[in-house]
Amino acid sequence: MTGPAGLLPVVLALLLAPLPGARPDPLRGERVFQRCYACHSVIAGEDTLPGPNLRGVLGRRAGTMPGFEFSPAMLEAGTARGLVWTRRTLDAFLADSQGMVPGMTMTMLGLPDADDRRDVIDYIEQAN
Amino acid sequence: MRRWLLTLVVALILAPPVARAQVTVQVYALPGGGGSPHDVAVGADGTAWYTAQRSGQLGRLDPGTGKADLIPLGPGAAPHGVIIGPDGAPWITESGTNAIVRVDPQTRGVRRWPLPEARGYVNLNTPTFDRRGRIWFTGQNGVYGRLDPKTGDMQVWDAPRGRGPYGIATTPDGAVYYASLAGSHIARVDLDTGVATVIEPPTKNQGARRVWSDSHGRVWVSEWNSGNVSRFDPRTGGWRTWKLPGERPRAYAVYVDDRDMVWVSDWGANAMVRFDPQTEKFEAFPSDRPGANVRQILGRPGEVWAPESGTDRLVVYRVK
Repeated sequence: MTGPAGLLPVVLALLLAPLPGARPDPLRGERVFQRCYACHSVIAGEDTLPGPNLRGVLGRRAGTMPGFEFSPAMLEAGTARGLVWTRRTLDAFLADSQGMVPGMTMTMLGLPDADDRRDVIDYIEQAN
Repeated sequence: MRRWLLTLVVALILAPPVARAQVTVQVYALPGGGGSPHDVAVGADGTAWYTAQRSGQLGRLDPGTGKADLIPLGPGAAPHGVIIGPDGAPWITESGTNAIVRVDPQTRGVRRWPLPEARGYVNLNTPTFDRRGRIWFTGQNGVYGRLDPKTGDMQVWDAPRGRGPYGIATTPDGAVYYASLAGSHIARVDLDTGVATVIEPPTKNQGARRVWSDSHGRVWVSEWNSGNVSRFDPRTGGWRTWKLPGERPRAYAVYVDDRDMVWVSDWGANAMVRFDPQTEKFEAFPSDRPGANVRQILGRPGEVWAPESGTDRLVVYRVK
């Protein structure tokens, strides 16, 4: 049998554990964005990276940011399939990027963790 | 006599170009569940190792039988680069878990050297060995580094212009160069101090993605944004630049084979392109499937290997 002192780590762990559906955390999202950082920016004017600038991406049709040369796969997703970036479509894209837009240039495989996706979308949305 | 001459002329007209006839192409379809090969490396025994980035595995293809099997690299793995080390083992830049990884080719045991935690996620890209048995690597978030597997000592440096370090290669005389995709330059690394010196290609915003050396130590660069292949000569400091053929070439990977022929993957043409520096002529080998998306090229004498990440296949170009 475990005494009260032995239960302390369990109680602490329960208190410190994130709750399901915890509040959005853009600061954590900025850390998650390190997965995207090599190719993307949310800072206005940083337009010479390998991927498109994500500032203002929500509401934009896929493959249409002026001045960026998208892959044929991403162009097709925007024009033929009518893909528009919303929180929902961006979440699905980050969950399985190649599955959603097969053949695109981006190699980043996506973010399997739903909290990671939510927080990084919060971070990108803030930049909007 | 006239008939003989006519026969000769017809034969010359009908004969395929000599260089083309020297290359045979073989395609290997990879097993399901371990596709999207990102990088490939071929060992001295002919075994081809490839990073199955989407499934977090290292693939091993026996070209004799065409059979491939997969070695799991652990939870969260998303391997990017693979090379064969001086010990004959595959060494991996394991991007998913931020570590350098060695796989024992016999036991298939996986050994990891994580980057210092304080560095955070660096998006590991490509490795190369120097002539002292140390492995150098790039991290696309703006770092490059070095691991001495004998001692476990690892150093990581900030790249001089931030994010971008991508392909990296060692010249025959042991110098190490990397390309910065976002930074549009190449850099030479001092093997003792670790200091990287930026070298600017002549084309602005060219998007230098990968580098490889020819037998003379000249550094070839695939330029993603410009669609050029360019060459830096360290002895003179001079550059030469050639535009790939086609309307909108995009040069992703570069590799120089044992005959000093330069191979480039061109996403614009969906083709592998071979460039002869002597004649300055290009020869295209289009993929038989759309969207081949070859992201890296490596080989051994007589063989050039290209992973088609978009078709889940490895392709070998055998040169005779």
